[in-house]
Amino acid sequence: MSVALDRPDLAPVETEPQKKQPIRFRERLTPRQLWGNAIVYAVLTIIAVLYIYPFLIEVFTSFKTDPDATANAISLVPPTWTTAAYQQLFANSDFPIWFKNSVVVTVVVTAGRVFFDSLAGYALARLNFRGRAGIFAGLIAVMSVPSVVLLIPKFLVLNSLGLYNSYAGMILPLLVDAAGVFIMKNFFESIPKSVEEQARIDGAGTFRTFWSIVLPMARPALVTIFILSFQGSWNELAQFIISTNDPSLTTLTKGVASLASGQLGAANRYPLKLGAALIMTIPVAVLFFVFQRKIMNTSDGAVKE
Amino acid sequence: MTTLASRTSPRHHRGINRGEARSGWLFTAPTLILLGLFLVVPIFMALWVAFSDWNGNGSPFTSAVHFIGLSNFGSVLSGGGLDEQNFGQALRNNAWYVILVVPIQTIVALFLAVMVNRQILKGRGIFRTAFYFPSVTSSVAITVLWLFLFSQSGAINNVLGWFGINGPNWFNEPSGIIQDGLAGLGVKSGPGFLTGNSFLGVSWWDWIGGPSVAMTALIFMAIFTTSGTFMLLFIAALQNMSGEVQEAAMVDGATGWQRFRFVTLPQLRPTLFTVLTLGLIGGWQIFDQIYTGTQGGPANTTTSPAYLAYSTAFGNGQEWGQGAAIGFIVFAIIVVFTIVQRVILRERKVSKRRMRLYNLPPSARDGSSNDEDDQGPGMQAAVGIATESQVNRSGGTV
Amino acid sequence: MQRRNRWLGAGALAVIGALALSACGSGFSSSSGGSTGGELSSSKKALTVLIGSSGPAETSAVTSAVSSWSKTAGTSAKVIAASDLSQQLSQGFASGKPADVFYLGNTDLAGYASAGDLLAYGNKLPNKSDFYPSLTKAFTYNNQLYCAPKDLSTLQLVINDSIWQKAGLTKADYPTTWNELESVAKKLTTKSVVGLSMNGQYERMGAFMVEAGGNLMNPTSTKATADSAANVTALTYVKKLLNEGVMKYSKDVGESDGGQALGAGKAAMTVEGNWVTGELKSDFPTVKYTVVPLPSGPAGKGTLVYTNCWGIAKDSPNQAAALKLVEKLTSESDQLAFSKAFGVLPSIQSAATKWKSQNPALVPFLDGVSYAQGVPASKNSAAVVTDFDSKLETLATSDPKTILAAVQTNLQATLK
Repeated sequence: MSVALDRPDLAPVETEPQKKQPIRFRERLTPRQLWGNAIVYAVLTIIAVLYIYPFLIEVFTSFKTDPDATANAISLVPPTWTTAAYQQLFANSDFPIWFKNSVVVTVVVTAGRVFFDSLAGYALARLNFRGRAGIFAGLIAVMSVPSVVLLIPKFLVLNSLGLYNSYAGMILPLLVDAAGVFIMKNFFESIPKSVEEQARIDGAGTFRTFWSIVLPMARPALVTIFILSFQGSWNELAQFIISTNDPSLTTLTKGVASLASGQLGAANRYPLKLGAALIMTIPVAVLFFVFQRKIMNTSDGAVKE
Repeated sequence: MTTLASRTSPRHHRGINRGEARSGWLFTAPTLILLGLFLVVPIFMALWVAFSDWNGNGSPFTSAVHFIGLSNFGSVLSGGGLDEQNFGQALRNNAWYVILVVPIQTIVALFLAVMVNRQILKGRGIFRTAFYFPSVTSSVAITVLWLFLFSQSGAINNVLGWFGINGPNWFNEPSGIIQDGLAGLGVKSGPGFLTGNSFLGVSWWDWIGGPSVAMTALIFMAIFTTSGTFMLLFIAALQNMSGEVQEAAMVDGATGWQRFRFVTLPQLRPTLFTVLTLGLIGGWQIFDQIYTGTQGGPANTTTSPAYLAYSTAFGNGQEWGQGAAIGFIVFAIIVVFTIVQRVILRERKVSKRRMRLYNLPPSARDGSSNDEDDQGPGMQAAVGIATESQVNRSGGTV
Repeated sequence: MQRRNRWLGAGALAVIGALALSACGSGFSSSSGGSTGGELSSSKKALTVLIGSSGPAETSAVTSAVSSWSKTAGTSAKVIAASDLSQQLSQGFASGKPADVFYLGNTDLAGYASAGDLLAYGNKLPNKSDFYPSLTKAFTYNNQLYCAPKDLSTLQLVINDSIWQKAGLTKADYPTTWNELESVAKKLTTKSVVGLSMNGQYERMGAFMVEAGGNLMNPTSTKATADSAANVTALTYVKKLLNEGVMKYSKDVGESDGGQALGAGKAAMTVEGNWVTGELKSDFPTVKYTVVPLPSGPAGKGTLVYTNCWGIAKDSPNQAAALKLVEKLTSESDQLAFSKAFGVLPSIQSAATKWKSQNPALVPFLDGVSYAQGVPASKNSAAVVTDFDSKLETLATSDPKTILAAVQTNLQATLK
């Protein structure tokens, strides 16, 4: 598979020193281990460049002129800097409308999922009622239905309900997700019952207990739902394809897809397309960097020792 | 489930229970209604459409729309027409996609996870970030980028040019890569029994011809975008692994590779299973990339059944029944593949015996392996569950 | 047992839900039956105009024409450039909320007309007889003229002047036969330039079929003629050019169509429609080019004609205004303006003289109408052509006869 893994001589760093001096092995590396380490770093760095360089190309190409973009597609620094792509996007296209729609949908969907998922998750974890097991089994079943089967039927239902071409039609089908309920249920089951039971004995209603006692304790799980919902709804495409055809309801994903698939005519216009793709990447990238630790779950930080 | 409260005060018991039942239904009602309306009801409607001759004009539930039995399924699965051929082609494209993407992305993800999980490695955080970043972006944005990178004069062909290779015009090249390879060896056309026989309107020669060059570019994209997500799952599993086992193996003097193969890998089985299942489910429903990037071209070599279902229904043919039928066939394929894979992965118990060679305590063998559901609300567990739903939703790229 | 009951209950609920949905069915249009349409619907609602645009030039020209109509008519209207016209149309029809006015290719007419999606307003057009008869024929389905031809386009040979001159060629060398085309293509081909480039599609190469005396279907699209000897001759000729390296598909020179290849200087000649003039003007304003008639084949002159019409949806709540808009958009002044902006040819005969005097360099395109043939227009034939196109991509290494035989089978299936 890889140099380091199938050649034991390249990865002995942990074996031999571990036997003799398990604690201080990092301080004294033999030349062979140094080489092994260097190779690991080199391999990882090359892969990291492969993973990141495309995004750098995206950033810099969006500031190139059309001919420059195709003439030298791999160089980063534009021969002539231009913001023409962005001017075109913001002044001469529906891009601002797309952006607005994506924001509206994402905000509502994220808020809705955080609330409804935790509400249902709490009920399934803590409330004792007939039908609970059935609901739970239903959720699991629903999670296993692939979305492609639902593409056409969702359109039919939205249409039947008169929700086609409306924000409601775009948002409602995304407003809860079975997976989120599942995550919340698991979380609520992991926290001790004593606190809420005390509150309920004191006469607090179920919703009050949930809202003011349990929910504040659930912050870590709520953040998880928040991240997943934000990313999921911001990046959603298929749902918006089948729920609208009104240009004033086009989202970024749908709009940028239409740029890519030829709405611009025959010309390539790469800087424009890449600029649009870049802007739509920024919000999720920001989210990623804000919650990086949470997402990576690096409780051990960068280096544990 | 009897709660502590109800046991201590029997008088409360009934009241709380009744209240709980009401609250329980009330709390789950929004979820039930929305999921019912947009997941359960649609399936029933689609079932009807799949068996009807609805042409997209007016409601599918009027008397003008007729029940036509299995004919929608029939024209897709047999009949020798263009419909069958298009479906066969889509199935062929997607099968190659799955065959290549699922193992490669799993291996890449596992490799990256093992590498960045090495305690000795400095700057692990930076590497993890770099590898995971492509996973957060949308498939639309990545596809736009990919169209540029893989264009005729794009970055990829530039790099190939450094090595004196004249790169193909990726997204416009319909030839299968295996056929290309054979052509390079001088085999320009297949033997008669391969070209002469066909399944679903596609000749055997084309079935085994490999993914088109265009599809190969999409395969690279899938690996690029999903390996990071799966890497996180593997990292979580690796971190949960018991040190004891590793140590025992080390004392036995096992090499790095041996430890990986006979100690680490068996313990990763549950995660491996999750990753393979998710990959399989996602792989069979690629849609976004095709809608954005290729619209099925060149020469129908990047259509997937999912995209075909969409374009059949929403295209100018307006064959809604056929589109819905294709959707259900995809569903069936996914179910079958998942079951088959489950059976295959369950069968092999060899590694357990191997583990016993290292005198492992039973707890280390079974209990310490990573079980997603027991992890509580850790992000990785969540990612595992959510990835499934996302893979479901956005078709492949997470 | 109890559990099973609950599940049955849930299933029943879902079915009831589905039935209830179908009963209220508010989203689906309830209109049905005849498409003649006595009375036109009329309301204050704004119009949506869905176009399949060739690029920014076309979009802005149509937008400005529509908005100037809006101002005088007092009905607001919005122009949308579709990324995939037929998908957006189908989705609109199925949702009961289609665009009011839209581009409709003659290849799509049969499908939508038979599904009852279109308003057949042809007889209400005051200038019905002014349209070229071949065009009105193309938009007649079941003996009804469905819509007003928007414009027309034909294919001809477009030549990049500077490459032509660099190769030492003059006006006298413009090819008039297939042999001449082959020999100039050879002369023009260098390391960086290919002599002839076009999209590898029936929509371009079909011209050669007509020149050889064939085509995929008969003129009324009632009979498949794909496997004729003439078609084999035509494809064999094209295959020869491809294998000699003097012709390449536009995607193989890294461009999306022949116009781009010509403009970027990667091809000396291309077979393109008159829309190429608009494309070259906006993307390559400095490139000089000449349009000459396509060379004659074994059966003489030949080319393909394309036409779109302005479709009006049967579900449009404001058909009366839509019709008024269409009348304006097909008027001589608007058609000439469109022609200037993105190079289409006017669909009305009365505008021909004026157009020719305004566009002397493009006269071959309009002259082509007299000897051009249309593309297949039977229901679902578009899918067959798409499949044919995909096979043509590998023409260089396949057998024309086999390809055409498969097309013949598929086309015959559309006639059942």
